[in-house]
Amino acid sequence: MATTPFDIELDEMTLARARRGDMEACEQIFRLFQQPAFSVAFRVCQCRETAQEITQEAFITALRKLKQFRGDSPFWGWLRRVVVNHAISSIRKGPKSDPVEFQDHHGRSESASERVGMSMDLESALAVLGAEDRAIVWLHDVEGYNHGEIAELFGKTESFSKTRLSRARKKLRSMLDGAGDVPYVSEAAAR
Amino acid sequence: MKFSKVRYMQKERDPLNLGSLPAVPPPSDGWPAVRAELEKSHNRKRLLRYAGSALAIAATVVLALGVIIRQPAPEAVPAALPGATQVTAQTPDGTQKTLDSLVALSQQLENRVRTIRADVGGMPTHSLVYQVELEDLIAQVDERLSMNPDSLELWSHRVNLLLDLSRLYENQLRRDYRRMASL
Repeated sequence: MATTPFDIELDEMTLARARRGDMEACEQIFRLFQQPAFSVAFRVCQCRETAQEITQEAFITALRKLKQFRGDSPFWGWLRRVVVNHAISSIRKGPKSDPVEFQDHHGRSESASERVGMSMDLESALAVLGAEDRAIVWLHDVEGYNHGEIAELFGKTESFSKTRLSRARKKLRSMLDGAGDVPYVSEAAAR
Repeated sequence: MKFSKVRYMQKERDPLNLGSLPAVPPPSDGWPAVRAELEKSHNRKRLLRYAGSALAIAATVVLALGVIIRQPAPEAVPAALPGATQVTAQTPDGTQKTLDSLVALSQQLENRVRTIRADVGGMPTHSLVYQVELEDLIAQVDERLSMNPDSLELWSHRVNLLLDLSRLYENQLRRDYRRMASL
């Protein structure tokens, strides 16, 4: 069963200690969520250096404003919003060069190594997309944001989000068609 | 059946299967930088809190001094009154002056509190509890003063309590005004 950052449990005691400014508790929270936070930041901006900056800024903001987290929803949902906000404002500040390094993040089995090829195709296609398009497609398709939420993030209308999503998907499909076989895409085309 | 439905919904939501991309590990440990920033902001907050308290104390002192300076000089006590001569003889000049100023300040603050109290509307519960506590404390000080009317310590305590009480009313008055202005 695949686990998501939403499954990471954060106990009330740690949260309460962190709210009081206990550094040990803050570190515990940081260690628990650093990887998913970095991952989202990286997927949106596609630059490891910028993603690292975004992650750190997001954690500083979140840990300072921890009192605003009411605790009635998963912590990751709240933290992810902070990360995404920082990532979007970094995109708005201006384009940065996108040095993409491809690394093998997968396991060692044979089926996994087949997936590496596919992932790298997706990775390179994503890297080629414009920053805004990439952010929209990632937030919608993977993070589950709806068009209203995306529009609010960018300060635009819902139709902006819908148009950009469809354009980004089309671009990605055309790049992937030339690059090789991706499940879902070919299945969707067959339907 | 259920599983295939979930899978279909996933395909609908993520037709390119971007969700299959692996999580990316951060290049380095970001905690030291985050910790340093958090500590800096904690220190800044603490400093601001100290500065705030220092400012409040300074303001109280300035207010008290201002009232003392504006106070007209006490009228000369006729030397013919034996009781009056006795009091001045018992206390050194400086102490007597301070005592007079504190008594005058206490009276002024009492008048001020009386005037503001008439204008203040309903108070929130926590302010009301604080007000009752302050008035109780003032009553206790008054009782002790009736037995020891020349105690500098008791008079300055009374002035401080009255200052707190007048500040409480002033804050409430400000809140009332803001509420009226927003209507």
